[in-house]
Amino acid sequence: MTLDWSIVWLNKGLLAEGALMTIVLTVLTMGLAVPLGIVLAFMRISKWRGLALLSQCFVELFRNIPLILIVYWSFYVIPILVPVQFSAFTTGLIALVLCVSAYNAETFRAGINSVRAGQTNAGLALGMSQFQVMKEIILPQAARRVLPILATTWVSLFKDTSLVSVIAVGELSHVALQIRSQSFRVLEMLTAMAVIYWMMGYPQAKLSDWVRKKFEVKE
Amino acid sequence: MTDASPIRRAARQRPLLEYKHVHKAFGVFKAIDDISINIYPGEVVCFIGPSGSGKSTLLRGTNGLDPFDGGEVIFDGLVLPRKPSDVRKVRRRMGMVFQNFELFPHKTALQNVAIGPITVLNTAKAEAEQQAMALLAKVGLADKADNYPVNLSGGQQQRVAIARALAMQPEVLLFDEPTSALDPETIGEVLSVMKALADEGRTMVIVTHEMSFARRVADWVIVFERGKVLEEGPPEQIFEAPTVERTKEFLGHLGWA
Repeated sequence: MTLDWSIVWLNKGLLAEGALMTIVLTVLTMGLAVPLGIVLAFMRISKWRGLALLSQCFVELFRNIPLILIVYWSFYVIPILVPVQFSAFTTGLIALVLCVSAYNAETFRAGINSVRAGQTNAGLALGMSQFQVMKEIILPQAARRVLPILATTWVSLFKDTSLVSVIAVGELSHVALQIRSQSFRVLEMLTAMAVIYWMMGYPQAKLSDWVRKKFEVKE
Repeated sequence: MTDASPIRRAARQRPLLEYKHVHKAFGVFKAIDDISINIYPGEVVCFIGPSGSGKSTLLRGTNGLDPFDGGEVIFDGLVLPRKPSDVRKVRRRMGMVFQNFELFPHKTALQNVAIGPITVLNTAKAEAEQQAMALLAKVGLADKADNYPVNLSGGQQQRVAIARALAMQPEVLLFDEPTSALDPETIGEVLSVMKALADEGRTMVIVTHEMSFARRVADWVIVFERGKVLEEGPPEQIFEAPTVERTKEFLGHLGWA
């Protein structure tokens, strides 16, 4: 078997576009899934049972089914549910956001709950309101514990964006697999894909390690 | 002030803090079983008694953090409200010091002391920090103002916590076993800060196992057992001539002759 690596170089423009799309998807997904996760986490710990239950249902649904299924599901179900025609990109983004906000909701909830009750009491004893306690005492401490987990989620998400290739979103996997199908240069393209993912993923993983170290909670 | 206390106590018009028939149960366990006691202004009152006798539960219920099941707490003539938003207004007038310090780990010593006035009293940041600095100096920790709690010893953390409580200019200070979590060598520095506060004439309620401190500093000692008041009186009576047999036994267990 002869290998012809020129196929990779010939398609460098397309691959670069795909890589860029992967980054855009990751950034947008996280950009939406963080605020949504916070909202879901607050719903979950709220006094109103209905809100808490709604959040719980959402989280338990989307974190317990495979992402690829959510992607397919979004692709086939959203057009039935809403009268608007979404692009493949938007559909893929929605699927990713649904899944990652469910993860993030649990991350934030755990972060908030990890701050011990005595801290709340100390704030309340000073005369603070529940809101002030949350803002001044609980959230800043929770944030430090949540950041390393978010960083890990980020690294997973970066790789998981490849799953939206199944609905033809033009990110790195889709582009690379397309070129593979058209050129039959299977090994070259899969290797190239791996190398590109690795080169982009490695620095992020290192950054995530750094975040973990930097925000390690000392008490 | 210790020697005159029973007389002062009798002469006082109105208690600063009144507990009327308070009770609280955890399941079938009666943690507090119909307690009625008074704390008078300027008085240092020590709650003593065996573990599980209800003394800490009584203290924690005072500012509504761990509300009682029934009965009333009357603070400065004001019945402690049940509604969380109303109880806040009373709570800020009572300083509280916890067994585990509960300093805010993401804030420096100075910020820990300043945060109460800034958030609750809307004091300007610069002013609050200036006051905080003075309070840290008062507890002997001016040089530690920029340290985070993790870099302070237990005794230092508890002194910062006392400064934090003082920052709200409370009318009464509640201490929940303030030295129980400390290494023996740092207990003294916390007790001497508390002694200095007592000498200023502050009203203090202290749950403690430090009997010699209670004997030396308290104006009034209340002995608890099984959710009830076993005996109360000036320290010389409680420690030298307890009238109740169980008090003698309890003090005897602690090696107090």
